[in-house]
Amino acid sequence: MIRGGKSFVSSPPAFSNDAKKLLVCTGNTVSIFSTSTGLQITELGGHTALVTSVIVVPASTPASKILCYCWTASLDGTIRYWDFSVPELMKTINIRFPIHSMVIPELSGQQPESNDKPPHLFAYLSAVDVKEQEHRPNASSGQIRKCNLTESRLAGGVILAETWKPEIITSSPSGKYFGIRDKRKLRIWEVPTKDSARAVYKKITLHHTKSFTTFAFHPTHRILAAGDVTGRILIWRSFGRRTFSDCDPIINGGPSTNDDERPGGRRDDDADSCSTWHWHSAEVKVLFFSSDGAYLYSGGKEGVLVVWQLDTGKKRFLPRIGSPLLYYLNSPDPSLSSISCADNQIHFLKMPSMEILKSISGIKLPGSVPEVCKGLYSGFVFDYTGGQVAVCAENYCIQLYSLLDDCEVSEVQVCERNLQLGDEVTVMVNLVALSLDGSTMSTIETRLPEDGIGGLVSLKFWTCGSQTKEFSLSTVIYEPHRDAGVSGIGFHPTRHMAVSSSYGGDFKIWVRSHEVLQKDQMLPMTGWTCHAVGSYKKKPMTAATFSADGSVLAVAAETVITLWDPQRNVLVAVIGESIEPIVTLSFVGKSDYLVSASQGSNSQVSVWSMSKLCASWSYKLHTEAVASTVDDSCFAVLALLPKSSKSMESNENTIQGTDGVILLFNVGDPVPASTWFVRKAKGGGLAFIKISPRSPEDITDGKPGQTLLAYINDDHEYVLFSPYGEQVHDYVTHPRSHFGIDETEQFGYATIYGELPEFNLKRNQTTEVSFVPSERPWETIFSGSSHNLPPLTKLCSMFLESLLEKRTAIVE
Amino acid sequence: MAENKTAIAKTFPVKPKLKPASNKSTPTPESKYWKSFKQPKETPTQTLISSITSLSFSPTQPHDFAATHSATVTIFSAQTLEPKSTIAAFSDTATSAIFRSDGRLLAAGDLSGSVRIFDVKSRVPLRHLRGHSRPVRVVRYPKADKLHLFSGGDDAIVKYWDVTTETQIFDLIGHKDYVRCGDVCPVNDDMFVSGSYDHKIKLWDIRVSSSGSVMEINHGKPVEDVIYLPSGGLIATAGGNSVKIWDVIGGGRLLHSMESHNKTVTSICVGKIGKESGEEAQQYRVLSVSLDGYMKVFDYAKFKITHSMRFPNPLLSIGFSPDCSTRVIGTSNGTLYVGKRKVKENIEGELGEFSGFGAVEEAPKRALRPSYFRYFHRGQNEKPVEGDYLIMRPKKVKVAEHDKLLKKFRHKEALVSALNGKNPENIVAVMEELVARKKLLKCVSNLDTEEIGLLLRFLQRYSTTPRYAGLLMGLAKKVVEMRAEDVRGSEELRGHIRNLKRTVEEEIRLQQSLQEIQGIISPLLRIAARR
Repeated sequence: MIRGGKSFVSSPPAFSNDAKKLLVCTGNTVSIFSTSTGLQITELGGHTALVTSVIVVPASTPASKILCYCWTASLDGTIRYWDFSVPELMKTINIRFPIHSMVIPELSGQQPESNDKPPHLFAYLSAVDVKEQEHRPNASSGQIRKCNLTESRLAGGVILAETWKPEIITSSPSGKYFGIRDKRKLRIWEVPTKDSARAVYKKITLHHTKSFTTFAFHPTHRILAAGDVTGRILIWRSFGRRTFSDCDPIINGGPSTNDDERPGGRRDDDADSCSTWHWHSAEVKVLFFSSDGAYLYSGGKEGVLVVWQLDTGKKRFLPRIGSPLLYYLNSPDPSLSSISCADNQIHFLKMPSMEILKSISGIKLPGSVPEVCKGLYSGFVFDYTGGQVAVCAENYCIQLYSLLDDCEVSEVQVCERNLQLGDEVTVMVNLVALSLDGSTMSTIETRLPEDGIGGLVSLKFWTCGSQTKEFSLSTVIYEPHRDAGVSGIGFHPTRHMAVSSSYGGDFKIWVRSHEVLQKDQMLPMTGWTCHAVGSYKKKPMTAATFSADGSVLAVAAETVITLWDPQRNVLVAVIGESIEPIVTLSFVGKSDYLVSASQGSNSQVSVWSMSKLCASWSYKLHTEAVASTVDDSCFAVLALLPKSSKSMESNENTIQGTDGVILLFNVGDPVPASTWFVRKAKGGGLAFIKISPRSPEDITDGKPGQTLLAYINDDHEYVLFSPYGEQVHDYVTHPRSHFGIDETEQFGYATIYGELPEFNLKRNQTTEVSFVPSERPWETIFSGSSHNLPPLTKLCSMFLESLLEKRTAIVE
Repeated sequence: MAENKTAIAKTFPVKPKLKPASNKSTPTPESKYWKSFKQPKETPTQTLISSITSLSFSPTQPHDFAATHSATVTIFSAQTLEPKSTIAAFSDTATSAIFRSDGRLLAAGDLSGSVRIFDVKSRVPLRHLRGHSRPVRVVRYPKADKLHLFSGGDDAIVKYWDVTTETQIFDLIGHKDYVRCGDVCPVNDDMFVSGSYDHKIKLWDIRVSSSGSVMEINHGKPVEDVIYLPSGGLIATAGGNSVKIWDVIGGGRLLHSMESHNKTVTSICVGKIGKESGEEAQQYRVLSVSLDGYMKVFDYAKFKITHSMRFPNPLLSIGFSPDCSTRVIGTSNGTLYVGKRKVKENIEGELGEFSGFGAVEEAPKRALRPSYFRYFHRGQNEKPVEGDYLIMRPKKVKVAEHDKLLKKFRHKEALVSALNGKNPENIVAVMEELVARKKLLKCVSNLDTEEIGLLLRFLQRYSTTPRYAGLLMGLAKKVVEMRAEDVRGSEELRGHIRNLKRTVEEEIRLQQSLQEIQGIISPLLRIAARR
């Protein structure tokens, strides 16, 4: 079982103390990446649900910088304590409430401990009271609770606040304050200096007329910045002067003024002044103060990182990051920081210059699709032999993602257009298909019309270079089916032939044509041209596929299946009459059966016998995807569970959250061979993937290639498993395990001149033994008459050279 | 990964839709050669009074050429390609001017039936050969013999003349219709051919003149032109829309018939690929011109058309200079298409230099010092040596003004800037980008009167172009709907709308006639498919 495709941006990441590692919450695990290589080092696995927070225990002294401890909190209701260098689980605290956010203010503001007994460590959690929710579903469910980490229990009965839904807690870098945003309010608490389970909390509330989206505390001063949904950034200075007055007056930001002169601030808010900055056009997602407090970083949907000089309000920009920003993080190393983007990428920035050093790219997350073309959209396709999945990304790219290595392989820019974040999606890549051997890709991109004018559908064929493995554009076809949308593309299994079916009522067969090799041209010109056009009673064509040997083309004409001879473009037979339009067609391997799936209120999965041209058996199932093996006679169906059965099962409380089921059928047998329950099946996909042995030992062992079933869910998380219950062989050599932490830091001489080469004395000795002076030039160079001799300068060097023992060069 | 900033999204300028690549293959070296005959920019196209019936080059340097048109013969300079002198001593339309082998005399016939001989330099008429009772159509000097010539005319007689005494030596009788063409054998001064409208080509030998023609070849169509190919063993004949190659040594056998012209081939001549190197260097070709306006180059060794060129007028005559530098084509309306090829002249000069001096010792290179000016420029013009690894500068993305404006979200300005750019592809590309941003209609509603005029002019020109029609017809409709008020208010805009209306009506007419044709064809196709 291979899992992957996790989101890297579900929760903010955390840097280790030496800024060489980045801890990223990836689903149920925390993955640790090297900041210098951008590759995964190791993984902390143990949580059983989504990890929501990771907090690295900061180093109080320079010596403890190498300490690698962290706290993690998860939706499974546990807080865990890890040594992530090993990696090893050290402690688990179970509080039985799903934790959505956790802060430990004391950690960041920890003083060096002098007494033997350290004070108790408290964490503040944003949790959901599950029981409460069940009794009163309308009540506010989020709670801010306190947890004693030293004693591993919740501080009894302390509920600081209740919110409508669980909120993200933000704590100040100094560890003095923490707070939450609650719609149009900010609630700020001061952490008591002597914290205990029964400490009294002072709190203030700041108000605004718009909903807040994020906020941040200044590292040293009492300044707070908050962003709202309209893109404004509000900055409160000296907040809580009245309430938190027992603080050190020196760090009270700015000179204290009269209560009457508080520009911008609301009368009842406890802050000296409030100023507003407005640059962002959409909501502010990221706010972060630089570690010295001089700059404020902000970002949002536009994908532009804005650096504000705090005193003057001057701006600098890092534009065209290419995706909405989600989190920004400073590292302990002042020259390094990271930004997390909504397209599942984390970029490391070199700080003052804001250059992107490295990127960690995860699988692209599904983009938003406009309602108009919901039906046309299929976001991904599997490569049968290559073990890859091609995902349509929002920035008009196709990302090729290796399922086995769980990393990005390449990205193909399909549509050359500048991405405008924040605008409505009007241009998108909505269909992608790969040929069976993975050498050819075809994509459909759609430009939506504005008020009925200017819409365009274009079909593109891409070929894969034999050496580079990069796809390059081969042919562009504008409006392949006039202005009608394309419902599906299928490739011929053996030949260079493809079929595209359209809602406009026709299908076209495309063939690759080689043009003659010109004398001065290096490569033969290849292009895809239309070979044949077919239609059946002007009905919309909804799906098309070739049979395993390529001799039959099946095209679904709404509710019936038409069978064609692709070479001669002749209608061979028409079968079936389903109730709803067929959306998927698939020939089952080498057997003479065809599976069709229709969607609608009476959705159906049917198996048709090609030899008898009639239905073999059918089920009433709401299918999301159908996958059939290439050389076997079974197929798998991803079906959505009906609402009634789901509620029944959730009562049983055994399989929570599952909404889909994968059924594996043998063609001849209507009873499923195996069944798996899955989550987030809506919009998911299914495919059989052939895994060939990678390493040479495996090939010599004679292990055959294995066929695995790949399931990808709506969030583009995937799992590979053997459908026959076999153990998945270790074909997958986890390359990430080989990436150790980067080499030890060089110092002194080595930093300037590099490392001295190591002399292998042993080898030198062995070669010296074998050294025999083979020629003796001194015997010959002086022979002959004196006027024939070469000049003395030449002779002398030759002579001396011959006397010296030459060390033969060692070939390293 | 560090060097290429993968994360930063690239900027793409707005690009027009791709056009289908033309099916034309890259030009072969030979067609490049034939295309290299270009009208020199400094001399305008010569237009003479009426149709140019013949063109001939002087066999001696500098290969001036003579063109007959109306009742004159104009001699053109080979260097400047401009008229040098005009001979107008004809009583009727002049035909078939020809230079003598030394290039000093010029003979030409006229429609009154006489042949006149002139001195080329002084233009003095020297001899007047009277004898043909009908117009003379062909006059030819032998290749080496300076004293004789032959002529043929509409009286179907070929006459052989002694020029000095103005007497005719032989009357060669045998043709049954107008004699329109003829050529002398390049290897033997006693033999020549003549072609006639009786479809026959006759080969004459003056040594056996009494027994009529030596050989007779039937072309099958009235013969417009006949030439000997340089070997002397083959002749090429033109008649109807075909050019035929015959083997005269092998008894008049037809070797090949080239039938790629659509109308009557009027003239043929021998061309030579005057290149120093290459596969085809120093090979001969047959150049033919026809009334369909095409000039074709025919490789008679491979029996293949190697180049074809179109001219806007029916072509009547062609000439090709012996030094391969000039190609002249005359048309029926008097336009003369002159093509001159630039020849690298330094080759001979260099050769001379090298042969003159022996091994010249090269001056020792002076070391550059900071006191020299060149010291500060050293190495700047260094060319890469073979084997050097070149680091290419990254290709700069060309950003037009409308791209910059689009980047700043100034949509209307971008549209106006593209409209001012006058490139329809770019304008449509900007419009498509605006559609993708859902801003096009807003832009249209914001345009002021002048800019609307600009847009309407563009729509009038291009909205019926098939490539852009999909977007522009819809847009034109919207523009008219949205800006009806402004159009009513301005006289100029009303004019644009009238023009637009006219274009649309024209397009509708075209579509209707196309539908009629489709209506005629589709039953035929259906019947054909049923079989």
